[in-house]
Amino acid sequence: MVSKTITPALPDKIITGKEAGLVLCAECYKVHRYIPDAEQECRCCGAELYQRKPDSINRTWAFLIASMILYIPVNTMMIMNVAYFGTDEPSTIMGGVILLLQMGSHAVAFVVFVASVLVPLFKMIGIMLILFSLKYKVNMTDRQRIKMFRFIEFIGRWSMLDIFVVSILAALVHITGVAEITAGPAATAFGTVVVLTMLAASSFDTRLLWDYKRKNYKNIELNQEPAAD
Amino acid sequence: MQVVVTGRSQVINSRILLCHECDLLIENQEICETCKVQCPRCGHVLYKQKHNTISRSLAYALTALICFYPAVTQPIMILEMLGLSQQQSLISGSLILLREKYYVVAILTFLSSCLVPLFRLLLLTYVTLSITLNYYHKSLIWSFRLFHEMEEWGMLEVYMLGIIVAVVKLLSMAEIQPGFGLWAYAALLLSSILATTALNPHEVWDALLDRKTREEPC
Repeated sequence: MVSKTITPALPDKIITGKEAGLVLCAECYKVHRYIPDAEQECRCCGAELYQRKPDSINRTWAFLIASMILYIPVNTMMIMNVAYFGTDEPSTIMGGVILLLQMGSHAVAFVVFVASVLVPLFKMIGIMLILFSLKYKVNMTDRQRIKMFRFIEFIGRWSMLDIFVVSILAALVHITGVAEITAGPAATAFGTVVVLTMLAASSFDTRLLWDYKRKNYKNIELNQEPAAD
Repeated sequence: MQVVVTGRSQVINSRILLCHECDLLIENQEICETCKVQCPRCGHVLYKQKHNTISRSLAYALTALICFYPAVTQPIMILEMLGLSQQQSLISGSLILLREKYYVVAILTFLSSCLVPLFRLLLLTYVTLSITLNYYHKSLIWSFRLFHEMEEWGMLEVYMLGIIVAVVKLLSMAEIQPGFGLWAYAALLLSSILATTALNPHEVWDALLDRKTREEPC
């Protein structure tokens, strides 16, 4: 059964739920009347109600900065050590990718490179760009910003790939004296980075992207009157 | 005036709609039940009709639960090297990392590839089974909320890719054989993906809140 897609017409006067004094329950999709300055719970499912996620921007910045700091040891320290007949061969994340290239498995090397190098970088830079776009003018349309954010949310979990690979290898290959693979400190750091970037994305409230634009519009109107704040 | 509108009825009966992602207020919208409805401003899908959603996701969730035990306890891969053989299952992998004192990695792996998916499947089975049997209990509401909240922390598919990458890395070193756990894991992955794609949360909320309002209006 293929269902028809309907896009309602954009109303002439754009009003958000916040401006209309309404609040949408993030869990069960019910619409309630918003009571200002009160802790409000959804009467239907008991979830906390808020028009915008509390402290969204500050929390996102905090998680983002923490993950950026941890990203340094991720790339400089070793993620796993391969002891093969007594010779140690520690490798970093990039080292692992290069090793896979040398082995001739280009497709897998590409997948690992995307998941553990490109994805975390893209995620951190993307979230930062979106946060900056709330303060400064960035040459992006609203649709582009929301699409970028949805993409960031979608790809985030895939960077766990390297953590899983390390844990599988460490479990499978531990024949003492012959071949032994152990995890390195970068694995811990990398796991934390992935969790932190996921938390950063989930604490960001997408509705702020549209609020900002309206605030700007208001500023334009206000600027015509002197002494407006 | 009291404005309380539910998931499906929010779209079908009511005059007020709020977009989840951009908070746009859409009023007086006539919408058919079998359509997919998109927000005109940000493109977020507000509502999408799915066929037989509750019984289908119940069936897939039960299938996934059956596959779960072999998937985590049976060896996923068997490595042979110089006549020695070594096995690895999902649980043994996490245990070895714990013994090597990589607590963060071990716990993260165990949570995202085993515990969270199991918990979500149990919650989904509980909710869909209760709706099918027309049973209602207060705990259903938070069960479904929890199911929704844990969504991004279950990473079965990423672990599957991890298995493939690990195999490629080991090919030059030793001989590798797939274990029974691998097939069970693949089946678990497939059925749990199908369970979540078949699920329409709006319809589940409608069914749950319908039963709830019989006891106390909300």
